[in-house]
Amino acid sequence: MKLTNINKTFGNKKVLKNINLDFPTGKTTVLVGPSGSGKSTLLRTLNLLVTPECGQYEFEKQKLDFAKKISNKEKIFLRQKTGMVFQDYNLFPTKTVLGNIIEGPTQVLKEDKTHAITTAQQLLQKVGLADYATAYPHELSGGQAQRVAIARALAMKPKYILLDEPTSALDPELELSVLKVLLQLAREKQSMAIVTHNMVFAKKIADKIIFVENGEILYDGSPTEFFDPNNPNQRIRNFISSMTLEDL
Amino acid sequence: MWKIIESSVPQMLAAGFKYTIPLAIISFFFGLILALITALVRLTRKKGPFRIIKWIFSFYVWLFRSTPLLVQLFIVFFGLPYFKIKGIFPNGIKLEPFTAGIITFSLNTGAYASETIRAAISSVPKGQWDAGFAMGMSKLKTLWRIILPQAFRVALPPLSNSFISLVKDTSLAASITIMEMFAVSQQLAAENYQPLLMYSLVALIYAAFTTVLTFLQKYLEHITDRYVKAN
Repeated sequence: MKLTNINKTFGNKKVLKNINLDFPTGKTTVLVGPSGSGKSTLLRTLNLLVTPECGQYEFEKQKLDFAKKISNKEKIFLRQKTGMVFQDYNLFPTKTVLGNIIEGPTQVLKEDKTHAITTAQQLLQKVGLADYATAYPHELSGGQAQRVAIARALAMKPKYILLDEPTSALDPELELSVLKVLLQLAREKQSMAIVTHNMVFAKKIADKIIFVENGEILYDGSPTEFFDPNNPNQRIRNFISSMTLEDL
Repeated sequence: MWKIIESSVPQMLAAGFKYTIPLAIISFFFGLILALITALVRLTRKKGPFRIIKWIFSFYVWLFRSTPLLVQLFIVFFGLPYFKIKGIFPNGIKLEPFTAGIITFSLNTGAYASETIRAAISSVPKGQWDAGFAMGMSKLKTLWRIILPQAFRVALPPLSNSFISLVKDTSLAASITIMEMFAVSQQLAAENYQPLLMYSLVALIYAAFTTVLTFLQKYLEHITDRYVKAN
């Protein structure tokens, strides 16, 4: 997955400035940065929920040029390959947990319903919610809801999973249940791109760190160097220390 | 008195089942379809020539909400026969009373219900659209599978209101020669000189019809409430 020369403006504000990024397969890429830096917009670009004004997007053999009009067919095809997990879960409230998970496979991939249910049950097992198939989203805690959202994304068998601040709405105890699932996925070499404010988690899970500020990439490399207390970049050192409460 | 009641109620009920209920149900059905289309057109953010279509639908809603239903019925039934255009309608548009009723009630209901549906669709969080799109669903599929079931719950009470109003408003069809329930009660009153009794009876039957609808609404609300938190 690769982005080249991506530019995006909302009104007068340039939120992404000439972004060039590589997202390796089988690895976890973590995007960090202050609020409003453009990291969520960047992630949403990968799922085409945001369409930049210009730039190129390569996904395996598919190439998109944002300067031209992207056809609905291209959009839909690419979205199936990039599962999205949102900060506020966005589970479908009218459907049960199982209904949420099989919605994509049966409606988009046109999978057989029995087959989709079997896969869904395996996924629920994986995220530790095997007993919740018939529950409605409103009956779940935030941590459970987010794990269902992860299972829903996985059910589409995407090449890449994109997670937009998946634990920001959760209190620490519930957050842990979600982080465990994500660490397990990372161990299984599931390709992921995660936007997070949790630096401890970022350090633990990242194969690659991207630091975004004011719509620009200030760092793109290994987590070891990024979290090195002697990182030559003063701005990054300040950011990390403020996020890990070291200043207090 | 019982004799009069015994002989008149079946006639009123027969008219109710033959005209009042079909008028209400058919008009509501077409009205809802029209309302959904109107709401969707007015919600789209498409620009360019599409703006004209949006404008036409907005004009339609304005027209039917700002004029009395009785006047609308009169224009469609008594007025349109004089709407003559050479080549297209050389003899004007002459409609059967029932057809004129269905058309007017559908258009009227559609205008009101479109606002209800528009508000209900807007009330569904944007994240629900995102979630549908993110898994590769088209706009139409997301609307149908994800958004409308949620909007339905919000729209249910105001739509029930519209339907109940419509059932009662069909009594206006008496004025365009449809022999529905109220027209029958008028006729009976003229025959037996019991206007108080006849109009009270017909009022009771309307109340009975709408009470059934109220129960139906409660039942549907009960079903759609299972996916929201109990208050």
